[in-house]
Amino acid sequence: MRREHDVHFRSGVLRGVVSLLLAVLVVNLFIMTVARHAEYKGQALENRQARFHVRAPRGRILDRHGTPVADNMFVADVTVAARSLGEDGPDSTLVRLMTWFDLPRQETLDRLAQQKERGRRRLVLVPNASLAQVTAVEERVRQLPGVRVDTQARRRYLHGSLVAHITGYVGEVGRAELDTAAGYRIGDDIGKLGVEAAFEDVLRGRAGLKLEEVNASGRIVGRRAVWMREPRAGSDVRLTISLPLQVALRELLGDRSACAVALSVPGGEVLAACSLPAYDPNLLTGGISTDAWQQLANDPAKPFFNRIVQATYPPGSLYKPVTSLAALYHGLVGTETYLEPCTGGLLFGDRTFHCWRRTGHGEVNHLIAMAHSCDTYYYQLGLMLDIDQLAVAARAFGLGSGNAGIFTAEAAGNVPDRAWYDERFGRGRWTRGVLLNNAIGQGELLATPLQMVMLAARLAVSGRVPDPVFVADPAPVREAPPVLPFAEEHLAWVRGSLEAVVEWGTGKAAQVPDVVVAGKTGTSQNPHGEDHACFMCYAPADRPEVALAIILENAGHGGAEAAPLAGVWLAEYFARRGELGLGVVP
Amino acid sequence: MIHMLLPAGDRRIFLAWFLLCLASLALLWSVTEPIRGPYEQIDPGVAKGLFWKQAMWMLLSYVVLLGTSRASLRFLENVAIPFFLVSILLLVLILAIGPKIGGARRWLALGPMRLQPSELAKVAFVLVTSGLLGRAMEGGRSLAAMSLSFVLMAAPMLLVLREPDLGTSLVFLAMWGGMVFWYGLPGILILGAGSAALSAVIMFYSESVVQQALPWGVYIVLLVGVLAVARLAILAKVSLLAANVATGIGIPFFWDKLQPYQQERILTFFDPGRDAFGSGYQAIQSRVAIGSGGLFGTHYLQGTQKGLAFLPERHTDFIFSVAGEELGFFGAVALLGLFAVIIGRGIEHATVARRPFARFLAIGVVSYFTFHVFVNVAITTGLLPVTGLPLPLLSYGGSNLLSSSILLGLLLNVSSRSFDD
Repeated sequence: MRREHDVHFRSGVLRGVVSLLLAVLVVNLFIMTVARHAEYKGQALENRQARFHVRAPRGRILDRHGTPVADNMFVADVTVAARSLGEDGPDSTLVRLMTWFDLPRQETLDRLAQQKERGRRRLVLVPNASLAQVTAVEERVRQLPGVRVDTQARRRYLHGSLVAHITGYVGEVGRAELDTAAGYRIGDDIGKLGVEAAFEDVLRGRAGLKLEEVNASGRIVGRRAVWMREPRAGSDVRLTISLPLQVALRELLGDRSACAVALSVPGGEVLAACSLPAYDPNLLTGGISTDAWQQLANDPAKPFFNRIVQATYPPGSLYKPVTSLAALYHGLVGTETYLEPCTGGLLFGDRTFHCWRRTGHGEVNHLIAMAHSCDTYYYQLGLMLDIDQLAVAARAFGLGSGNAGIFTAEAAGNVPDRAWYDERFGRGRWTRGVLLNNAIGQGELLATPLQMVMLAARLAVSGRVPDPVFVADPAPVREAPPVLPFAEEHLAWVRGSLEAVVEWGTGKAAQVPDVVVAGKTGTSQNPHGEDHACFMCYAPADRPEVALAIILENAGHGGAEAAPLAGVWLAEYFARRGELGLGVVP
Repeated sequence: MIHMLLPAGDRRIFLAWFLLCLASLALLWSVTEPIRGPYEQIDPGVAKGLFWKQAMWMLLSYVVLLGTSRASLRFLENVAIPFFLVSILLLVLILAIGPKIGGARRWLALGPMRLQPSELAKVAFVLVTSGLLGRAMEGGRSLAAMSLSFVLMAAPMLLVLREPDLGTSLVFLAMWGGMVFWYGLPGILILGAGSAALSAVIMFYSESVVQQALPWGVYIVLLVGVLAVARLAILAKVSLLAANVATGIGIPFFWDKLQPYQQERILTFFDPGRDAFGSGYQAIQSRVAIGSGGLFGTHYLQGTQKGLAFLPERHTDFIFSVAGEELGFFGAVALLGLFAVIIGRGIEHATVARRPFARFLAIGVVSYFTFHVFVNVAITTGLLPVTGLPLPLLSYGGSNLLSSSILLGLLLNVSSRSFDD
């Protein structure tokens, strides 16, 4: 009996508790929906929060001394909503704006249509608007539905085309990239080439998220903005390039098609690197018109072509130290050996291979051959060597493989060996004649300007230069420098002969007062036109701290054309090295 | 023929289940309607696919409801212990290897389905505790059975708390509380637990709002005074005082253990304006939605707040605010009425059922629905701090719909026997 009483007592308590809880809910609901209805209704109509993405400022790109090369500036764009440009043409607001700003009608509509196609919800009508244009819009904003002035950070390259091939440029993120790269929104910038692309993750930062009150038509009211997540600025990237040295190199090269790279030794840091002609990356940041793009892309001088790592040239006589080292290594010749005298060429089979000096060099030993770049001597060395022996020597210096790492489409160059010729011409269908060409750096041998300067640098310090870098910060991961197989006495003899080149040989034009320069001239045979002039060097010869390679396209002989420019730049380097804090070995 | 398609037992409970499912589909359809106008670019909205997914879950839940309503109760009692052990194992398993989604490990991926083991654990816990307390009831009450039931509750609760999922872990406490109350608690325990909870709240108020311990000190002095004149055994008096002092001192330590976002939510609850866009955002937006609905609502599919991304979690934990906005006071109260039918009938069947196992089963289900409905609606209307807890049968989410339907199936099962045996 007591148990039944208990059960009824308990269910009574439970009913009471549940009723009380439900009553609390209902009364509260009633208060909210009736007593405070007007207050909530008002808030629902007026106080609506919208989330806005706020782009993070992109990290800057600095030169090695901390001087900005690329930064950001705030620009105002006059933008219209995407729906202003309907299927059947622009709406009246857009027409009115185009008339006001005196914009060419068809061109503008094409430009906007392209943006719309990319999925943008706001179309940039006037990029980088002037104060007058901004004021004109702001004053009449109520009569211009969907029109807004958007301020945003835009990439600015402070020196135009000066460092373009190294920095690369940013552009609007494309459809394909939106699918593959995480966290990008339509209209965001993304690095397209060079350092901008390779260091995208460092430079980019993280977008912020802001809550703004908006009114019923979606316009920001401007009260009580709250950050849900602060944007985090991207980090700066510091190049190894020294702007003053870069400017000096750029001025020397003038308006030629050319390429030049200077490197610290033994650090392997690129101090200056020019590829000409170059493009102005500023043209590409604000969205370039299709016409202008086509014009740049189809320019026969190929301004987008990054000659530093993409162009390959036969190294010509710059290669002779490699041939010498291979021959010395295999004991085929000594440092003092005289071979058959040079009479202006060598007969091989039924063909005469000419020396560059048709009148001949006469009696020539190894040192004289290097200093005066006697081809006949090197033809004879080539005939003593096996093609694979020569290829192994070249690869020891890093020729034949890409080494910069941060550029897309970097060329590997070419160091042909037996397998390569068998593949190319068929087994037994090529002769030792190819060795004559290889021995003087012509024929199928190819190297990029960056590989050429690396050759000079590694000759200078017996190989103790790791692969080159363009960026100092974030600190790159360096691999150990290669170990050269050659005897130190042979390397020392080559260095002495390179000093002779500049002291009394073909490279005299590269002499610098008070500094001993070692170098090698070269002429890169060009089947399509005038030969390319080449020169590589390092200095000071006794304690090398800088290496330089110059290629002037279609300019003829390296000794006459390229060597003088190297002399001028080296003089500038040694005049300013103290002030720039360079070449200080701890 | 039609009888085959209806579950056994109380038709009113089944009707409530059916109407709530219909309401859920209607609300989800509204929530998943595409957003138009200037807000399109701010919020892409909730995908329509979720509606169809939930409809599929509903079909499955219906079949399971039919099954559980007709199953043999003795069979269910027999499988309760292995079922419970398996669900505990799953809870351990997801803590170890479960995927981290939104900062928590709550889900188990089974091909395309995601299952929350904590939902299954609720059902298992009700079954196993009903078995334990029912058997103990038949042999005369014992404190040992109650202590054991506490252990049964603590295990899944702590595991779920680790996921972390505060709301769901408290459900275990609520279900246990309801069933133990039905079992019969000594008055001194109720007194002890109640006064200790009061001590904790006062200490919290003292520390965080007034920032001095004075109010709590006053409370303890008053308590000592009351105890001095009360007619209680000395041991009881000392225990009561000790429990109060211990919880009061313990609360700051417990506070430090909470996650920062949980602390923030509790502080925001006491002072909603404190962070209108951070953790107070959901609470404020939900209240604005319901309040702006008025008596009759903004009418179905016409709500502005839910469509404008101002209603967070609008298809899951905050679906009641969509109901409030679109259906108004009357619609919201009608939904509460349907839950009241389930809870009221549940208490009735618990009272009249013959077997103790069936009674506890009914009470477990009643506690589950009472806690879920009250806490969820209290959160959406700003009466309680925000913590994640779905509204049974209405919120989007397959696992909760399934476990709610199983529990209702059990209640129907109990009701079918209370009439005829």
